[in-house]
Amino acid sequence: MHAHLDLPSHLRDGFTAAGVSPAEPGAATVASAPSGLADWQTTLDALTALYRTAKAAAARGSPIVFVMSADALLGRTGPLDAMAATGVVSAARTLAAELRKQGVPVNCLASAEDTPPDQVVTWALRLLEAGPAGPTGELLQLGGAQIGKALS
Amino acid sequence: MRTAIVTGAARGIGKEIAVRLAADFDHLVVVDLSPTLAETALELEALGVEVTPVEANLTGADGIAAVAASTESVAALVNNAGITRDARLVNMEEGDFRAVLEVNLGVPFRLVEALDGRWSEPATIVNIASRAYLGNFGQFNYSMSKGGLVGLTRALAITLAPHVRVNAVAPGLTATEMVETIPEDVIQRMISAIPLGRMGRPSEMADVVAWLCSPESSYVTGQVVVVGGGRSLTR
Repeated sequence: MHAHLDLPSHLRDGFTAAGVSPAEPGAATVASAPSGLADWQTTLDALTALYRTAKAAAARGSPIVFVMSADALLGRTGPLDAMAATGVVSAARTLAAELRKQGVPVNCLASAEDTPPDQVVTWALRLLEAGPAGPTGELLQLGGAQIGKALS
Repeated sequence: MRTAIVTGAARGIGKEIAVRLAADFDHLVVVDLSPTLAETALELEALGVEVTPVEANLTGADGIAAVAASTESVAALVNNAGITRDARLVNMEEGDFRAVLEVNLGVPFRLVEALDGRWSEPATIVNIASRAYLGNFGQFNYSMSKGGLVGLTRALAITLAPHVRVNAVAPGLTATEMVETIPEDVIQRMISAIPLGRMGRPSEMADVVAWLCSPESSYVTGQVVVVGGGRSLTR
């Protein structure tokens, strides 16, 4: 698979090790929600970069998986990272609605701090390869941080 | 003196929130860009509450500073101001994406930052999100901003505890001026998907906000209350 990989290096390496060829544009897109954010301007710029990636992917009908921290979704890593993570999930649901009739899935994958990168790669590829009848607009969480907590 | 700050208070849901909070607070700081804010402030004063209107653009540092300078202590902050710039993502302009994020998400974050050290004990923050945080066709920017508010709510609920409670209200279709721009046939189609069979009233949003700002919700923090007539359940 050729995929646009807008990811931190450890995850990017995981995808290439799994046989995914980084490409621009790619047949699929994997992008991470911004994290480690220091201030609002940095956050806005990072989300704008993600907007550009998502818009380009939508224009070419590329399946998308957004990856993020499960802790950020729950607000445990500070306001800016939480805003970015939950904002991306909401935007992904909207994009899933916009691309549903084209059969293009858009999903989110949240992982815990100790989730092995190869598990993120495995599940992201499953979401990308599931096809039009597979999940879309979903948030899949690895590591169980969401159990007994907020749903999304 | 117990002070509540309401942004986007000149009209619509924000105005109703201010009217409702006039019964529970001594002093209201009402903030808006609109020149009609002065008129709203007079209506609020007639309810017997002290009112400080702040006509300001909160996307600039001056606007945020003006709000922060309006009071020594804050018992409630309602982040209500918001805008829409709808389009399918493939047609969405970057300027519209950034504008919506800046107003709907950046302003609440920066306002909370600016009010650091001024919170009463106890105090409450209510962020006005939207049912669109669950996803809504044509609103990539808006749903991201409102989803981001949910994350802000959760994070602040942790970092500002135990003295400040932080929650969000997610209104569904509500009878405001914003809705008046939607064609009638579209409105009727939207209403047909609402189990309660009608739009919400701004006062119904205000009642939930007032509850979240009151001691009656003293053990509630970090939560999102969807006030949408059941629309989040139907097709």
